[in-house]
Amino acid sequence: MNLDFSQIVPYIPFMLEGIWVTLKFVFFAIILGSILGTVLALFKIGSAKSLRWFADAYTSIFRGTPLILQLMIIYYSIPQLTGYDILPFLSAILAFGLNSSAYISEIIRAGIQAVDKGQLEAAQALGVPHGAMMKDIILPQALKNILPALMNEFITLTKESAIVSTIGYLDLMRRAQVVGADLFRNFEPLLFVGLIYWCLVMGLTVIGRMVERRLKLSD
Amino acid sequence: MIDVQALSKKFGDNLVLSDITISIQKGEVVAIIGPSGSGKSTFLRCLNLLETPSSGSIEINGKNLTASKKGIHKIRQQIGMVFQHFHLFPHMTVLENLMYAPMKAKGIKKYDAEGKARQLLERVGLAQKADAYPNSLSGGQKQRVAIARALAMEPELMLFDEPTSALDPEMVKEVLEVMKDLAKSGMTMIVVTHEMGFAKEVADRVLFLDHGVLVEEGEPESFFKHPASERARDFLDKVL
Repeated sequence: MNLDFSQIVPYIPFMLEGIWVTLKFVFFAIILGSILGTVLALFKIGSAKSLRWFADAYTSIFRGTPLILQLMIIYYSIPQLTGYDILPFLSAILAFGLNSSAYISEIIRAGIQAVDKGQLEAAQALGVPHGAMMKDIILPQALKNILPALMNEFITLTKESAIVSTIGYLDLMRRAQVVGADLFRNFEPLLFVGLIYWCLVMGLTVIGRMVERRLKLSD
Repeated sequence: MIDVQALSKKFGDNLVLSDITISIQKGEVVAIIGPSGSGKSTFLRCLNLLETPSSGSIEINGKNLTASKKGIHKIRQQIGMVFQHFHLFPHMTVLENLMYAPMKAKGIKKYDAEGKARQLLERVGLAQKADAYPNSLSGGQKQRVAIARALAMEPELMLFDEPTSALDPEMVKEVLEVMKDLAKSGMTMIVVTHEMGFAKEVADRVLFLDHGVLVEEGEPESFFKHPASERARDFLDKVL
């Protein structure tokens, strides 16, 4: 076995920096995906037919094509079509945010529809306006039901973020490849960032459990 | 106070309410009885437009509900409703359940809403449960909280949709007591119920529905002793 982890030691700070780079765009992508996903979910359960149609079409396109393709289209075609030289960072946020909003909207829609219809009727009977009812009564209860599915989506997004290495964004994955090319040894740096990805996901898992426990207070 | 004219409701081809006309005075307690599937609950739910009537008109305090759905929030704020299955907000404490709608729908200050809420909890005998979550309460306690929640909006009319049907027998009484007190205080109440004792004792008037038709109405005493219609006689024979 030809393994020598001591060789990657000088590159460790360089690779660790990738954690921040990866987390930065994953964070914004999750925010964008959650906001857009909530809006799309509200479209889907709303009464306006055109909005429902839009949200369904949106979901079908972003779920129906590969994420890597969406990323490439955003990164390469925006400069071609508009002349605006889009940064890998912004392309990554857009591609991942838009893509995951399609999945998140489905999760939230199912969560809202699983809330007991009596909750809606009770709020209506009290004369609570529709917006306040969704925000204060329906969504918090839906959130509690969908939290595991939502955490799953965030974990997937964090891992799949490695795809941005294909557009030259210096994330964790890309840094492992750079180090590998430098050393002519790939296994060690790849294994090293693999461990980092695993730690990130474990961190997310722990946060998810904590939130879940807090939401369970009312049981 | 309430004036219902020729109210009908269809679910698809199924006629569940047929041509119901009735008026109810302020301060009256009306019990609606009848076999299951007779349209009692649907009738009640039409009164605050949880169900949209297919035809006919409903007027409450001179406002026509059926003309347009605009401003329905304001009208619903004056109509309290108590459901068979309570429908308390599970993610809020008992106190928050009572404070939420007055603050959100009527813009009442938090301090005032809390004062009113505590006073109402006292009234239904649950002051010590203010900070509990609904899931930790018994069925009877839940229903009393639900009544207090509806009262927190200071409604002029209270609708009860089988308020004791989902309760264990030993908890029925505590809920009926609260309702009796409410009736004594002069609240206008419409109660869909299977509690014939309650109807006899508390109601000013009994409506008997069968297959969506208002078959008979009258004072409880004469109604229970000498029902005029065959269908009411049949029904009473079965339940009493």
